[in-house]
Amino acid sequence: MKHHNLLLLTLVLVSLIASGCGGKQTATVAPPASTEKPATEETITLRYFMWDPEFSEKEQQMVDKFMAANPNIKVELEAVATPDYWTKLQAMSAAGNLPCVFSMSSGYVDQWISDGLLADIQSYVDRDIKPDDYFTGVFDVVRDKKSGHMHAFPFAFVETVLFYNQDAFDQAGVPYPTDGWTWDDFLSAAKKLTVDKDGDGTPEQYGFWFYGRYAHIESWVYQNDGRLLNKDKTRFDPDDNAVAALKFLNSLINEYGVAPKPKEMEGIRQQDVFPMGMSAMWVDGAWNINNVREVAGDKFHWAIAPIPRGPQATGDTAYGWPDSLAISANCAHPDEAWEFIKFITGPARTIDLTFGGKVPIYKPVALSDEFLERDKQPPNKDFLLSWADHTGPTSFTPGWGEWRGYADGAGLEGKLNSVFNGEEDLNTALSEAKEHANSVLERYYP
Amino acid sequence: MKYSKTTPYFFILPMATGLLVFRLGPIIVAALASFTKWNIRTAPQFIGIGNYTEAINSEIFWLVVKNTIEYMVIFVPGVMLLALLLALLVNQKLRGIAFFRGIYFLPYITAMVAVAMVWNWIFATRFGILNFALTHYFHISNPPAWLADQRWALPALTIVAIWKESGFQMMVFLAGLQGIPTSLYEAAAIDGADKKQQFFKITFPLLSPVTFFVFINTLVIAFKTFDITYTMTGGGPNYASTTLVFYIYQNAFIYDRMGYATANAVLLLLIVGAITMFSFKMKERWVNYAL
Repeated sequence: MKHHNLLLLTLVLVSLIASGCGGKQTATVAPPASTEKPATEETITLRYFMWDPEFSEKEQQMVDKFMAANPNIKVELEAVATPDYWTKLQAMSAAGNLPCVFSMSSGYVDQWISDGLLADIQSYVDRDIKPDDYFTGVFDVVRDKKSGHMHAFPFAFVETVLFYNQDAFDQAGVPYPTDGWTWDDFLSAAKKLTVDKDGDGTPEQYGFWFYGRYAHIESWVYQNDGRLLNKDKTRFDPDDNAVAALKFLNSLINEYGVAPKPKEMEGIRQQDVFPMGMSAMWVDGAWNINNVREVAGDKFHWAIAPIPRGPQATGDTAYGWPDSLAISANCAHPDEAWEFIKFITGPARTIDLTFGGKVPIYKPVALSDEFLERDKQPPNKDFLLSWADHTGPTSFTPGWGEWRGYADGAGLEGKLNSVFNGEEDLNTALSEAKEHANSVLERYYP
Repeated sequence: MKYSKTTPYFFILPMATGLLVFRLGPIIVAALASFTKWNIRTAPQFIGIGNYTEAINSEIFWLVVKNTIEYMVIFVPGVMLLALLLALLVNQKLRGIAFFRGIYFLPYITAMVAVAMVWNWIFATRFGILNFALTHYFHISNPPAWLADQRWALPALTIVAIWKESGFQMMVFLAGLQGIPTSLYEAAAIDGADKKQQFFKITFPLLSPVTFFVFINTLVIAFKTFDITYTMTGGGPNYASTTLVFYIYQNAFIYDRMGYATANAVLLLLIVGAITMFSFKMKERWVNYAL
């Protein structure tokens, strides 16, 4: 009796542990019953993991089209929203169970390449991709920095732009921003657009709004031909042009008062300041077009324009980067995975599958009339297409989130906010940021 | 009644299994992982005590420890005082007292995300109700930007945390208060003890086991604070409101540094363990179990 109990006890314990550990190994290779045709080719299964559940239904339609055209390939789509997407993907990677195809962001791609987790797709690209059909300017972001080979394929890209409130410009009698607008033009416009309606000393409408956020800062640095990182992007080392851009931005707040201190806007979502009419201009990613449409509604007219050029600019340098699809390095069917990627990044990815201000990577789709969404604001969405030709560098590196600071109020973003809030001077903040950033980068590039 | 010697083990089996598999297991794995460099995606590399030396030499780590202690020093007495005060208030026999008990308990069961939204609005620099009151009724011309100010972010979080937690600990105190026999108060009143004497000679000593429970409980909660930081400040500005558990989360899941994060977790375990042990040692001096 005693032995019996002890046995049972152990059994229960073991089964509990086993069920805790082994939950993953279900449903991987079972071929679908429906494709029981005379199988000359074996049916294979690709798992495809994407980060936008909002679009998963439409994505599924595209996947269905692909499967109809390729009956021997079965694609299993799964969508998980970020940031859980990344947690889950990391866990899958740790378990050696990465899906064959998955969405990859520009912020993480370097890290994933250097971890050896993404397949080299350069030979496929060379074989199948006609460069004229794609916005190849953003391809550099997904290249291995050593070999120059692409390890992911972009499906869409984003850029930062200057949003401006046309009604506010009209009221202030300021001409709209144009190509080749300089910082002086911008500053004089911003002064006129800063309006204290009730005379209490606090403007209800500022000329401009920004803080230490990457999209707000790097846009200006690149338009002054500046760099935050050294040439091989292994150390944080802002050059003179970059520092000049930061000084200019700081002067907008602490010298001219045409933009609020970041802390003044605490309690309002940063992306709502412009659409709520509290600033007449704003620089951020074009993906905010959706939010501006929703929040501003038809309260005022607005449009998009190039980032104003700094005194050192030799031409336009846009800050943009792609969203991509990658093949995992241990995918058993890389050829089929590439066929799939080629399919869903090409003509099949229609405008309704692309969020707000994101531009499809395939030119014939991007240049189509539907992309312009003529019934919606901004009236000049085609600007995104011409701006794409100027796409320049990014500051993404391994450890980017940590040294740059993203949604945590720390890193370079936090230090710049201290400067803009008038709590610290720029030089001190930059040398502190440099020390911190390089201690992070040294871990990846000893 | 006859039963086999092993029978009791069946009764503790669910609990014991849970503890072994979901507590002790992860603790051992974490302790091992703390000696590695590990980004989760790829295999961990053994680096000896590298993570520990890094933590000890890191300014940010010590800032985070300081923040955790500051938070704890305000949070624990804050919750205990407010909860006791509320418990004494709602321990009166009044009509509709259950309604008040419910109201004070409400913050505890409200979802943190909702709480964060409301308090973010209260603390908002320019359009927040708090700064509106400060400027209009107290004529303070330049009120702080609470959550965006390095000096105020952590105290602001602590206030919200106290507000949210006190309702629950109030119920614990209330249960303790109602366990004290009324005959003691009657006897004291006959002997001429006033309300103050009754509180310090009867209520406080007899409540001490409950007070001790609340103390340990809030202490552990203080160390574990996470969701309020996550939803309200994200740890900023410049780590000013980052506390240990949040820092561990950041390193593990945002900065991809599972090894370093687990080293911090082990340090946290040692600190919490030491403080809890010290508290249990101290309790013999003031906690009164016998009636």
